Amino acid sequence: MDAVVLEQVTKRFDSVVAVSDLSLRIKQGAIFGLLGPNGAGKTTTLRMMMRVMIPDEGSVDVLGEPLSDRTQDLIGYLPEERGLYPRMQLRKVLVFLAALKGLSEDEADRRARAWLERMELADWAEKKVIDLSKGMQQKAQFIAAVLHRPPLLILDEPFDGLDPLNAAAVKDIMLELRDQGTTIVLSTHRMEQVEMMCDSICLINKGRNILGGDLRAIKQSYGKNTLRMEFTGEGGFLNSPLVEKVNRFGAVVEARLRRGADPQELLKAAVAEGARIARFELLEPPLNDIFIEKVSEDHA
Amino acid sequence: MRKLWLIIKREYITRVRTKGFVIATISIPLLTAGIFGLSVFLATRQRSHTLNIATLDEAGGLSAAIARGLTRNLPDGQPLFRVVKTIEQPEAEEKARADLRAEVVAGGLDGYLVVPKDVTDGKAAEFHTRNPGDFMLTGSIESAVSDAVIARRLEERGIHVDNLKEAVRGVEIKLVRVTREGETEEKGQTFLMSVVLALLLYSTLIMYGNVTMRSVLEEKTTRVVEVLVSAVRPFQLMAGKILGVGAVAFTQYLIWTLSIAAAGAYGATMASAAGTGNPVRNLHVPIGVIVYLLIYFLTGYFLYASIYAAIGAASSNEQDAQQLQWPATLPLIFSFLMFNFVLRDPASTVSVVFSEIPFFAPILMLLRITSQTPPFWQIALSIGLLILTTVGVVYVSARIYRVGVLMHGKRPSLVEIFRWLKYT
Repeated sequence: MDAVVLEQVTKRFDSVVAVSDLSLRIKQGAIFGLLGPNGAGKTTTLRMMMRVMIPDEGSVDVLGEPLSDRTQDLIGYLPEERGLYPRMQLRKVLVFLAALKGLSEDEADRRARAWLERMELADWAEKKVIDLSKGMQQKAQFIAAVLHRPPLLILDEPFDGLDPLNAAAVKDIMLELRDQGTTIVLSTHRMEQVEMMCDSICLINKGRNILGGDLRAIKQSYGKNTLRMEFTGEGGFLNSPLVEKVNRFGAVVEARLRRGADPQELLKAAVAEGARIARFELLEPPLNDIFIEKVSEDHA
Repeated sequence: MRKLWLIIKREYITRVRTKGFVIATISIPLLTAGIFGLSVFLATRQRSHTLNIATLDEAGGLSAAIARGLTRNLPDGQPLFRVVKTIEQPEAEEKARADLRAEVVAGGLDGYLVVPKDVTDGKAAEFHTRNPGDFMLTGSIESAVSDAVIARRLEERGIHVDNLKEAVRGVEIKLVRVTREGETEEKGQTFLMSVVLALLLYSTLIMYGNVTMRSVLEEKTTRVVEVLVSAVRPFQLMAGKILGVGAVAFTQYLIWTLSIAAAGAYGATMASAAGTGNPVRNLHVPIGVIVYLLIYFLTGYFLYASIYAAIGAASSNEQDAQQLQWPATLPLIFSFLMFNFVLRDPASTVSVVFSEIPFFAPILMLLRITSQTPPFWQIALSIGLLILTTVGVVYVSARIYRVGVLMHGKRPSLVEIFRWLKYT
């Protein structure tokens, strides 16, 4: 049984087609990346999984069941912009939201205390949400999503507002939950996170699935066609016909090789030019590049 | 159902536990008690001791009659005034006045009354005292002096009257309200009660409608609603909110009506000392009216709160919401404009028709009930129509709500909002 199955789902708002004939499959226990430019239909797709919106055509199944009040309770949601009652006490908000998902208030209270302890928010349990910093509120939002132990977690930009320490903590918890069997749908613009954490992805543009499947497989399909270099010198060798595209990141330069080009040739050209090479790494293309490439193609 | 209850509970508890609620709820009973207390106090103005006064009768022959006329007593039975000195037609008027003045300043006298020579021709008498601000005193003195002077004038015309007060006493007109059950005496309370109740209904409908609207708006601007709709259906959310806020309003109403009823019972006993003719004394509200007040508040609230909820859902901030308030406030304001018309002739066709229209019914029908007791079928019809209309309005509002709460940005035009009705 898959965690989520979308079968040819279409959603319209008046004349605007937000999602068009979209199909995707999310395996249980996977960390799934839902990617796409702004306005591509990601949020609408997520909302349909949670039955906040109903497809005009096609079907959505969650954990083997068609959408219902029950499937809502099986999902934990962390929205892109924090959503908590500002003037309520932190612990009370968490208990309220978990109770709405079917947990008893006593149990919710027990778990809330434990989670607040774990995320170093215990001192703020009785404080009003508005008194918390942005990062704390984000952590609180995360707790709200996981409190009722849902088998399916939908996280929209979960690392937003988190410093590296907190981001690492959240990442560790996500992996822990995954190990316990939770399926995680991660919607984010941070491609590095996706590369590191996701098993499979779906890239949506203009409401359509333009790239989907196992992440490793996708990357391998491109082959190791990207060179990541650090060097001193003018870099004239980069104008070589071997190179299809160059991305400069200050000290680091990434060059996409043409199909069939031999990276060793480029290395020779660099040395011949007198460049001092600090790094010369052959990689699969970064997801960021794949994203940009695919979306640009789609616009054409 | 459990989820609906959770939402109702949250709305109720977060509002009832605030200082604002406690203050607002207590202030009305306090205000009522204050008004009562004040009117009773004013009516039975306490004086702890008898006032010693002197009469300087420059006209001559009136002081005895005046002294007889100062019959007012303190609550403990002692006389309010005691004439300790009488000076009849003194030779040296200025000196007499100066002496009296000195005595008042020294404290031996509380005041002195000067009756001038031409008092029967209309010249004013004077009461000299250290504390002239007491109108109650002036009233007593004025009536004693007037009676004496009038009796003197009648004597000069050859009419001898033993008891002037008896002879010239006016006649009170009592207003009696005719109802099917019988006749009850009016003492001016109808108008006062109608106005007070109509105002109460009007202001609480708007106030709690606004509370509902702001609750919806807050969940939108804080984005809480995004998490909420992933857990409950939008309709449950809206219904829970309206019911929760309604429960707060109802609690407040209950406390108010109980305290007004208590004040009425207390006031009736206290105010027998206040004197007749004081409308506040008779502000006891019949149980029937209170029941209808609650009924019309509840049905009116559900109707208007649903509209307000839709307004909140269609807005992204307070300013938008203010601009979009007219579907709710216009009917209420119109009800108020019709107020005088209906009060003056509650049985006219126009009054009957308008009091049946659901948006005006809460205020106008209640008005008719307090002033005249319309036939029961009319009341039942208005309630029935109210309920039906409310169901329809709730349905439309729910469809606007479920789309609106997830929308952000520019204020939607009415056309856009109508389109939302078709979304799934």
